Amino acid sequence: MHGTALPRLARALLRSMLHGAERDEVLGDMAEEYAERRGRRGALRARLWLWHQVLGSVPGVIGRSWFGGRTGFESEANSMKRGGLGLESWIMDARFALRGLRSRPQYVLLSVLTLALGIGGTTAVFAIARAVLLEPLPYRDSGELVHFWNAFDWSEAELAYLGDDWGGFDRVAAYTSEGVFMRPEGSAAQLIPGLRSTAALFEVLGARPALGRGFQAGDDAVGAEPTAVLSHGLWQELGGRRDIIGHTMQLDGTPRRVIGVMPAGFWFPDPSVRVWLSTPVRPDNGAGNYALVGRLQPGRAAGGMAEPLRRITSRLAEQFTYTPQFDKTKHAQLTPLGDYLLGPVRPALLATLAGMGVILLMACANVATLMLAQLRGRESELAVRVALGAGRRRLTQQLLVESALLGLLAGVIGAGAAAAGFTVLLAALPLGEMAVAAHADWTLFLTALVLAFAAALLIALAPVFSLWRGDLREALSRARSGGIGARGGRLEDLLVVGEVALAVLLAAGAAVLIRSVENLRAIDPGVRTRGVGVLDIAFSGDVPQEVRQQQMLEMIASLRSVPGVAAASAVQRLPLATRGDNWGIQIMEQPDLEPTTTALRVVGRDYFDVMGIRVLRGRGFEATDQAGSELVIVIDEELATKYFPGDDPVGQHIASGTGLGWMRIVGVVRGVRHSALAEPGGPGRYVLYDQYNYTPESAALVLRVQPDMSVPAVLHAAAASIQRSMAAVAVQDATTMDQVLALAMGPTRRIMQLMTILGALALTLGAVGVYGVVSHFVSRRRRDWVIRMALGMRPGSVIGQVVGRGALLVGAGCALGLAAAAAATRVLASLLFEVSAADPVALLGAAGALIATGCLAALLPAYRASRANAAAVLRDV
Amino acid sequence: MSDDAPLGTFEEQVLLAILRTGADAFGMSVRREIEEVTGRAVAIGAVYATLDRLEAKRLVRSFRSSGDGRSRRMFAVTRAGARALAASRAMRDRLWRGINLLELGGEH
Repeated sequence: MHGTALPRLARALLRSMLHGAERDEVLGDMAEEYAERRGRRGALRARLWLWHQVLGSVPGVIGRSWFGGRTGFESEANSMKRGGLGLESWIMDARFALRGLRSRPQYVLLSVLTLALGIGGTTAVFAIARAVLLEPLPYRDSGELVHFWNAFDWSEAELAYLGDDWGGFDRVAAYTSEGVFMRPEGSAAQLIPGLRSTAALFEVLGARPALGRGFQAGDDAVGAEPTAVLSHGLWQELGGRRDIIGHTMQLDGTPRRVIGVMPAGFWFPDPSVRVWLSTPVRPDNGAGNYALVGRLQPGRAAGGMAEPLRRITSRLAEQFTYTPQFDKTKHAQLTPLGDYLLGPVRPALLATLAGMGVILLMACANVATLMLAQLRGRESELAVRVALGAGRRRLTQQLLVESALLGLLAGVIGAGAAAAGFTVLLAALPLGEMAVAAHADWTLFLTALVLAFAAALLIALAPVFSLWRGDLREALSRARSGGIGARGGRLEDLLVVGEVALAVLLAAGAAVLIRSVENLRAIDPGVRTRGVGVLDIAFSGDVPQEVRQQQMLEMIASLRSVPGVAAASAVQRLPLATRGDNWGIQIMEQPDLEPTTTALRVVGRDYFDVMGIRVLRGRGFEATDQAGSELVIVIDEELATKYFPGDDPVGQHIASGTGLGWMRIVGVVRGVRHSALAEPGGPGRYVLYDQYNYTPESAALVLRVQPDMSVPAVLHAAAASIQRSMAAVAVQDATTMDQVLALAMGPTRRIMQLMTILGALALTLGAVGVYGVVSHFVSRRRRDWVIRMALGMRPGSVIGQVVGRGALLVGAGCALGLAAAAAATRVLASLLFEVSAADPVALLGAAGALIATGCLAALLPAYRASRANAAAVLRDV
Repeated sequence: MSDDAPLGTFEEQVLLAILRTGADAFGMSVRREIEEVTGRAVAIGAVYATLDRLEAKRLVRSFRSSGDGRSRRMFAVTRAGARALAASRAMRDRLWRGINLLELGGEH
């Protein structure tokens, strides 16, 4: 017996399958035979034999314990008491629990569905958050990467002046986003999201191409051959041939040599970018709109860069003069690249994840109170079982098995819900281009199961605690006396107070977001969005300026003849959506004006009409404003108040430093929000495509659609007509101004919608919890009340007592929840607009909603209690 | 589980093995006996599952031995068990009556 011990795993498995009575003797016998076989036939054969014994025993044990039907009166010889129970007892408990659950379908349905909801939601959001926030960025040592201040405001002149002199940095690269015009052979022209960058980009990021090479020193020299690196996706789309390296492609109207293909999974600066182009850095180009990304020298931290940054800014100050608004020498600071890229999506994701987690916790608390109530209902049964010798451990095990079964069921349904809801959530969350990074995969199911079992443990905690604390023998005596227990139920009370607090937390979060969106909605964007469709277009880079202007005017004219179009125009930068194109301004009548810039918009003639921008003074553009006629310009009210205070601007003259000369101001229009709804638009002015000497390569065509027509259908027809007639124009992104406006509200609106749904759910769950606990309170007190009512107590005062009880619980929960909300809503701060995170209206509104629903939930059991039939109640017990 | 249900093949083997091992019938010895006679590997869990089932049917009874210092759960066939074995054999004999496998070439 002590010769050779059994291998540990096999021994443990066998142990779990044998009952206590014969466990030791059989294990001893097995060890003996195992040793004997080892000696006779060798270790391998013995092991094979042992595992055959282990696995061959499984069906027998399961069959015996699942279908065997034990009476509890088995002979002393196979008593199951000694040495505790193995696997078999768990199987029997599972069978017992299943039988119990089958007899309570409503309880199961309620518990499983609420749990599944929490589990499914949390799983889906977690999967998205994991993919977006926790996946390492596709760059080497991304902790060393930083993003520079004044993003997209660095010029080629500045880059050329600073040269390679980046003290404190290993390397620095500049990049700017750009729609790249591409026309693959045999298909229509496309506008693909791309990036122009200096040669150091891939070295800074520490990313290697899967094929060919990245940019190398000299690729950004003036006169160097233009090169392109493709994303894996674009390469696949172009045929996925390895010999594409070295080939020349027509990109942006320029022949570019393809030098590399990045691996799948690489992205910068977001997953939508499909091509990276080298760009020459010309010292004489004062524009460029570049952003800078740098790798710190090893051992340096973003915080310890004050000295190197001071050197850079003082060098810039020697060479360049800045307007105070865009002064790079002030507020120089570095942002870790991860924060820069993911910062905008982080609060939204974390808030949603927390919201889903709260729902899951509330579901757990709900199921726990349900289970507690069940346990109280079974008190006398449990007491009898304890008296007959059942151990508390065994009862605990049964509770655990029951909650594990509920959890498992909820986990499976929740995993299904998560898989189904994944894409819905992905679309509902304001992730922008980062959404591409998230995929649903098998880890979803793993997460759901882990959450389910964690939830099951959490649920069992309260009932198990009450089982170990309560005195069951006392319960037995009470059961005999009629079950009046005025005390007790404190654990349920605690749970429901917690639940209400969580619900207040969520409702408060939803409320501050709703207030923010209200504030955003109250902003007048300056344009009328209804019924306006937008087509983004771009010219191929090799189309000369005069041809572009000609084609632009033809395009606008041809759109008017598309059926359903009431009016058509164009603008080089769409309001509410785009930044930039601030140009210098001179005023003839104010020769000593300090050099400043304002937004300049090149538009088609009917632009104000299409966009519903009101003309406040003078006139808009008219048919008489032609290529050869007097140069005219329209300014907005903000420009008028800033540059012509107390003066009539109409008739005065403005120049824009483009060599075109003075243009006469003919009208003043309403100001619009140029880049985002929450940002003041700033002064702006409008010139005509017909008259202006520069037609930018990209523009937005805007169409006012006739009221009885569908905007998408008309847009589709318009896009098709352009594709047919203009080969050198790429049409992309058909959208509506309503959508643009929705997008301009930023992530707040979408998060608000999600949080409102979650808040409503939390209210419901909270109400269910209050209802359950108050009902239980009523059933404990019912006997008391009917006696007192028989002695003259009015039913109204019963209602008062019950509702008072509910209000007490809700009130306590609200107080707790408000304190938590005041602290926790701060994570939403970056999503809020003109509302404080601890906005009293929102917080009190949330608490009020809970008190109202909570009292309503208490009213139903109260009413029932006041109408109880005394005879039935007294007989019942 | 009704008492007059016919014995399963494995149940019959277990009962016979108990009788063959005589006074020394416990789980492992019964398992070894079946293996030696039938030449087929049998798992210990299956043996105990069947022994428990037979005991529940009152065809076998178990008791604790305390002989050489090691207490074991021993098994013995009850009178009902013996009757069941006899009935099973009688039924089989009746079924075999008049069958000649040599005609089918089955014995070679």
